[in-house]
Amino acid sequence: MTKHPDHISAEKFLAELRRFQKGSVTRRHFLGVTGLGLATAVLSTAMPGLRPRKAYAGLSGTLNVTTWPNYFSQENYDDFTKKTGVPINVNVFGSNEEMLAKLQAGSTGWDVLVPTNYTISTYKGLDLIEPLDLKLFPSYDPAQQDPRFLGPGTIDGVTYAVPKDWGTTGFIVNTKSTTENPVSWKDFFAATQGPLSGKVTVHDYQLTTIGSAAKSLGYSFNTVDPKELAEVEKLLIATKPHLFGITSDYQPAMRNGDAAMAMCWTNDAAQLHRDLPEMSYRLGKDGGEIWVDHYAVIKGAPNRDAAYAFLDFILTPEINAKEIEAHGTPTPDARVIKLLPKDILENPILYPAADQLSVLEYGAAETLTNPARAELMARFKSA
Amino acid sequence: MAGLVPAILFTRGKKMRGSRPRMMKLSMTSSLRSKLVTALLLAPAGLFFVFLLLVPLAVVLLFSFGERAPAGGYVPAFTLQNYMDLPARGKAFFNTLTLAPLGTLLTALFAFPMAYFLAVRTSPKWRIALLILVMAPFWTSQLLRYYAWMIILGNKGLPSWLAMVGLTDVRIINTPWAVLIGAVYGYLPLMVPPIYVSLEKLDKRLLEASADLGATPTRTFLQVTLPLALPGVATGSMLVFILLMGDYILPQFLGGGKVFFIGNALVDLFLQSRNWPFGAAVSVALVAIMFVTIYFYMRFVLSKSDTRRAALV
Amino acid sequence: MNHSPSVIEFRKVTKRFGDVVAVADNDLAVKAGEFLSILGPSGCGKTTSLRMMAGFEQPSSGEVFIRGENVTGVPAYRRPVNMVFQHYALFPHLSVADNVSYGLRQRNPKPARAEIDRAVDEALAMVRLEGYGKRRSYELSGGQQQRVALARALINRPAVLLLDEPLAALDRKLRRDMQIELQNLQRDVGITFLLVTHDQEEALSMSDRVCVMREGRIVQTGSPRELYDQPVNRYVADFVGKTNFFSGPTGAEVLSIRPEQIEIAANVNALPEGLMARLPVKVLNRIFLGEHTEYVVASDKLGEFMVMAPRKSEREAGVYDIGDMIAAGWRAEAERILPNT
Repeated sequence: MTKHPDHISAEKFLAELRRFQKGSVTRRHFLGVTGLGLATAVLSTAMPGLRPRKAYAGLSGTLNVTTWPNYFSQENYDDFTKKTGVPINVNVFGSNEEMLAKLQAGSTGWDVLVPTNYTISTYKGLDLIEPLDLKLFPSYDPAQQDPRFLGPGTIDGVTYAVPKDWGTTGFIVNTKSTTENPVSWKDFFAATQGPLSGKVTVHDYQLTTIGSAAKSLGYSFNTVDPKELAEVEKLLIATKPHLFGITSDYQPAMRNGDAAMAMCWTNDAAQLHRDLPEMSYRLGKDGGEIWVDHYAVIKGAPNRDAAYAFLDFILTPEINAKEIEAHGTPTPDARVIKLLPKDILENPILYPAADQLSVLEYGAAETLTNPARAELMARFKSA
Repeated sequence: MAGLVPAILFTRGKKMRGSRPRMMKLSMTSSLRSKLVTALLLAPAGLFFVFLLLVPLAVVLLFSFGERAPAGGYVPAFTLQNYMDLPARGKAFFNTLTLAPLGTLLTALFAFPMAYFLAVRTSPKWRIALLILVMAPFWTSQLLRYYAWMIILGNKGLPSWLAMVGLTDVRIINTPWAVLIGAVYGYLPLMVPPIYVSLEKLDKRLLEASADLGATPTRTFLQVTLPLALPGVATGSMLVFILLMGDYILPQFLGGGKVFFIGNALVDLFLQSRNWPFGAAVSVALVAIMFVTIYFYMRFVLSKSDTRRAALV
Repeated sequence: MNHSPSVIEFRKVTKRFGDVVAVADNDLAVKAGEFLSILGPSGCGKTTSLRMMAGFEQPSSGEVFIRGENVTGVPAYRRPVNMVFQHYALFPHLSVADNVSYGLRQRNPKPARAEIDRAVDEALAMVRLEGYGKRRSYELSGGQQQRVALARALINRPAVLLLDEPLAALDRKLRRDMQIELQNLQRDVGITFLLVTHDQEEALSMSDRVCVMREGRIVQTGSPRELYDQPVNRYVADFVGKTNFFSGPTGAEVLSIRPEQIEIAANVNALPEGLMARLPVKVLNRIFLGEHTEYVVASDKLGEFMVMAPRKSEREAGVYDIGDMIAAGWRAEAERILPNT
């Protein structure tokens, strides 16, 4: 067999799989598309040997944290248990929609939730999360946060969620398998229908796929205008025969060379680039998504005290820095940024130039609940 | 013994009042008792049936007449709109209703020779080991196995080998063909055992009788082996068909999201757009289609094979 | 073409299964139109012989001829013989009529539908199962299934009908009826019947000729009367009917006397004239069997032996009790000296 530089070895691939099985591949990855999230892996950090002296008085029980796969430092969580005597149950999910579906379906026993920007107002509207009492976690300092990330968590001046970390949705190009040089979503779809036909993937996710297609036509990432959506649909359906796949699990296809270009999130881009330097991550010059994940406390949380103790613990700059180093997603907290190593700060995938970010938009709550976009996505996938 | 005591007491009481003959009363009480025992023995299965099958089905039916809440979910209502919207998932129904039967057929075509080889041509001492090997893929994660197939069917896999023999530009992964290959691979372990069992039960003297009456080996296979193995084929096909109709992981993985099954539509409706009432209506339609299909299929199979044997398998 | 009056012929046929020799160097000729039985205990090679005629097994060496044609190596479906299996082997998924017509439907060209239907009706009538065509085989009694199996084979007008222990699964009364029915059927259809059985009574009562087998070899072939009256050795005498053996001085030979050829009387003087042997004996046991009574008696010189007294003689001489001292004797022609093999 000839050696393909863009082809990962079977061994490495299996190692990836094992990581996936342990719940540690990137976030929305897989559980979302497979719907396995509801039945998933409840990773317990409850280890009997770790119940020690109580630094936080009066805490007891277990803390239920619902988040994304590979999105926390196990060491930090163990330390929290050591300090407080409260073990942490981690529930991992594949998509915001799934988390919301589960919460809507009824009592979950969750305490802390990690929602993405555009879902917060919906959670608030459905009365599923509580207004945060900032006095209970003094380690959080709003003044130290990048102000552009403070908007989504604050509704009518009340803080419902505080930023955890942030990222972008762009696309990744394997520069070894193509000489094409797309730099915008317009380029992305043109290349897909042209020279890269059969070698491109888009997300199995209405927000980013419809949003990015809308950007390529010059519309808002969050458009729900019927006329604009009709044009987006036309573009997507015309593109479909040229797609390699519609999947949020695009790393295998990129790694083994089946795909040369993929709609891509920050985390996946960082991982792909780390292993294969020819992987080039781009943000659309014509716009795209920026997102920020938050910590929120579930209304009526069974262990509310521990939830606030957890927020205070995890947002302490030294601890949060270890958190960022563990999962590699950028933080908006200036105090934490000072503590991060150079290679993270100088990685343009994690911290792109400010002018590139300025054209990006947050996903809007409207798109999350808009049936027109859901139906468009269904027609696109079944076309 | 203890059980007899109440019956005897009961008989005595009646006798004192001098009513009916003794034998009748004894048999009556014992039939009452056996009914009670039967009821108790059936209770767990009955409860299981009611609470895990009928109740959820009733809930789904109820939801299917409701409306989607503005932020997703369900609000009570009575509307047929969800059913009128079903054509919006027509393509998903079409894909499922063509690929699931085709996948079942292909699986049966692959499974039959394997089962035949195991049951007829293999010496008994190897049979168990080989049968276990057929089942072995079930010991590993389904996702892991599909990932492996993503590599095999990917452009660096099978198509690149085909290119070496001059068949260039063959695309398998993320097409309906990949889904069919995955179906055959994934469901073979479910199809082989029932066919194996029916072939193993097959009296070899029937094959000799057929040959003795002048039938060539091919005709013997078609006129005796196949009809008598039909109950096993029917059982296996039923299992595979039902699972394939509801599958969403296989089309997601090997179809790359481009092959859209009802299962995928349901995952999207319940977990993404959270349009539960429409999802419920799609589910009801799927259950109804499966019910009707299976009903006619079973009738066909029963008419083609010996009724009593078919009912027993 | 090698023409021979035999319908089936074995020439030096041997069949080995691994180290076991099931059939050893046998010659056998079945004559057209006869009813031949192969008789022997289980494991004697009789069923293997039958299966080599049907074509389910091929000889390890030697040749098989059917109607003068060498069919060695020819598979079962191309041989003009049909078989009635021990447990009938009716097709459970087919109706009685479809079972019976199975052979006709394999022909090339296939006969017309009407022709098949008529043949099926005739075949069912022949075995007295008119109107059973639509039934399933499991709805029939053992005897009825047996007759369906016969009809299914005979409808093809085979050169030879092979019957593998066809009556073994039936109860005693039904077996008797079927024996008669088989004989009548054979006479009516004029087809050669070759029956394999371990039941000597069955073989003797139905067959024109019986072939006795032992450990893969044919020991004797002849009419039932020949086998009974002139067995070639101790084995045949023992297998065909009941007999008393008395050891000779060297041990290489035995004296065989059939129990019904021994006469008994109250005392030696009451025995008829012209007997070769006259012995005082003691009655040890008595079994009433209806048409005759079986005595076990013992003499000082010869030890225990069996006597069959017909009902008729009882009426004349009366019945003896256990412990009675009586006399037994036989004529010279009753004695048969046989090799002790």
